[in-house]
Amino acid sequence: MTTNNPQPQDEFYVNYLPMPRSWSAFLLKFLPLLIAGVLIFAYILPTVHDQYNKGGFSKRTDYLGYLVANPVPHLIVPRPGNTEAGADYSYYLLAAGNKAGPPKKVMEQAGNWVTLTGLPIARNNLTLLAAFKAETAEAPEGFDLDLKGKSLGEFTVEGEIVDPKCYNGVMKPGRTKTHRGCAIRCISGGIPPTLVSHNAQGDTIYFVLSDLEDQAVNDRVLNIVGDPLRITGEVVQFGDTFVLKADPETYEVI
Amino acid sequence: MSVSYKSIQWNRQKIIYDLLLVATIALYLYLFVWSTQWFGGADVERGLRAIWIRAYGSAAFILLHVILSIGPLTRLSPKFYPLLFNRRHMGVVMFLLGVQHARGTLAWYHDFGNLDPIVSLLTGNLNFGFIPFPFELLGIGGLLILGLMAITSHDFWLHNLTAPVWKALHMCVYLAYSLLVGHVFLGALQTNKHPFLTIAVGIGLVWIVGVHFWAARKEAGCDRQTFLINTEGFADIGSISEIPENRAKVVTLAGERIAVFKYDGKISAISNVCQHQNGPLGEGKILDGCITCPWHGYQYRPEDGASPPPFTEKVPTFAVRLQGDRIFLSATPNLPGTPVEPAVIA
Repeated sequence: MTTNNPQPQDEFYVNYLPMPRSWSAFLLKFLPLLIAGVLIFAYILPTVHDQYNKGGFSKRTDYLGYLVANPVPHLIVPRPGNTEAGADYSYYLLAAGNKAGPPKKVMEQAGNWVTLTGLPIARNNLTLLAAFKAETAEAPEGFDLDLKGKSLGEFTVEGEIVDPKCYNGVMKPGRTKTHRGCAIRCISGGIPPTLVSHNAQGDTIYFVLSDLEDQAVNDRVLNIVGDPLRITGEVVQFGDTFVLKADPETYEVI
Repeated sequence: MSVSYKSIQWNRQKIIYDLLLVATIALYLYLFVWSTQWFGGADVERGLRAIWIRAYGSAAFILLHVILSIGPLTRLSPKFYPLLFNRRHMGVVMFLLGVQHARGTLAWYHDFGNLDPIVSLLTGNLNFGFIPFPFELLGIGGLLILGLMAITSHDFWLHNLTAPVWKALHMCVYLAYSLLVGHVFLGALQTNKHPFLTIAVGIGLVWIVGVHFWAARKEAGCDRQTFLINTEGFADIGSISEIPENRAKVVTLAGERIAVFKYDGKISAISNVCQHQNGPLGEGKILDGCITCPWHGYQYRPEDGASPPPFTEKVPTFAVRLQGDRIFLSATPNLPGTPVEPAVIA
């Protein structure tokens, strides 16, 4: 079989020769369209990426609170003023400035009232402090410390395990598959694993994860970080924060 | 063509090509980051590091589609040839974009932790189920192939590896593309569920497969017709009038494509495959007495298939006879560079 001359006008081009006029006319139409198409992607792609949320961090602040090591490092910070309408303390998760749990020197103060210097990273009602230092402090007067929480009973919840430092706003989206490697690094380093769940109304609810012995589950959830999960366990409320107590062996990937 | 190796042989058109390429990519990256900030305002990640990771990655992936489209498009219309001659610069730029994407990912997602970032990247996610599969490994595989191609893209490697080995290595771009489609599907598309992204990646895949199939179908038509080879080993491949002056007719004899050129009242035949990058010599033209490849301008004398001194490339030649208006072509190739007396048109 044959291929007849592919250029009926006998137009020919190599890069050291002038381009045939009809070819340059064609490229003058084609290239702007191609470039425009590429640039349209640059404009549209960011809008369809999951990379916007209200989470974020502000500046270093000193917090007076009671430092607790289990099930995850956290700080109970009394809320000033009239708190009749809500909890009278905040439950702040703790981490370090990098992908790790709070520094050893900070956690040596666990079980004490401290003034903790930390960077608050908050999204919705979930706050994590990147802790830098803690100094022993006097207990505030008139504050009734609640270390047992209030059991709300057994629930089954569905959601995704995140590291609350990235999820809260250090990274966006800080969740799901593309963030999985980073979340594994953070959680293996000691950042408290947290389940992000949504109720039927679309509200976002967070559950700090604990095992049945009030111990951290970090090392036992690394292989399912970012996966859709179903967990059944006892929900214990601390202020505005929920802790979900369940054996990690019973977590179901859905 | 050149007898010595230079890093890049610049000419005006290459400079225009590269400037256009770099300007488009710079504009893409700027627009991507600008658009992110414009639409996100205060809700965008501080420092924008992940935004740049996405900008570099998406730019590389789009550029890979453009690069893979050029080859088959030139088979469908020669007007795309000007996009082909400097395609290797496009490939190197795409690789560098991929490197920036990978560097950003390594630092942002895997540094500052309790493992070396590279160890974290390779071992952090060990769930090898379908959707949970560590998509990063697919990206690393694709990038390594593109890196090997970028490193060996210079003619120095083409000459030293030999054209068949070099060509086989560079055909691995299709393996790299497959790995990178998997990387995007199991990575970005699992986090970003907007249908636009899924549809765009799907259309890209269908386009790349479709345009290659389209071009292959056209090429296959060239190989389908059979010629009757006589007892002397020659086949009647058509009439002289079918071939325009200084141009060729391409025929397939005994499985080999042969370019039969008409020039200066003579007919000569050589292999259709350029020794440089296997370009289609039969779509070339005789310039200054030499067959000139349409891909990069490599030249061969029609009488012996050898490049004029000081160049050293050679292609096989074929004997040609004329009987009246009919061209009879030998199906047996001569060794590359073997002189063959052209058939003279009466």
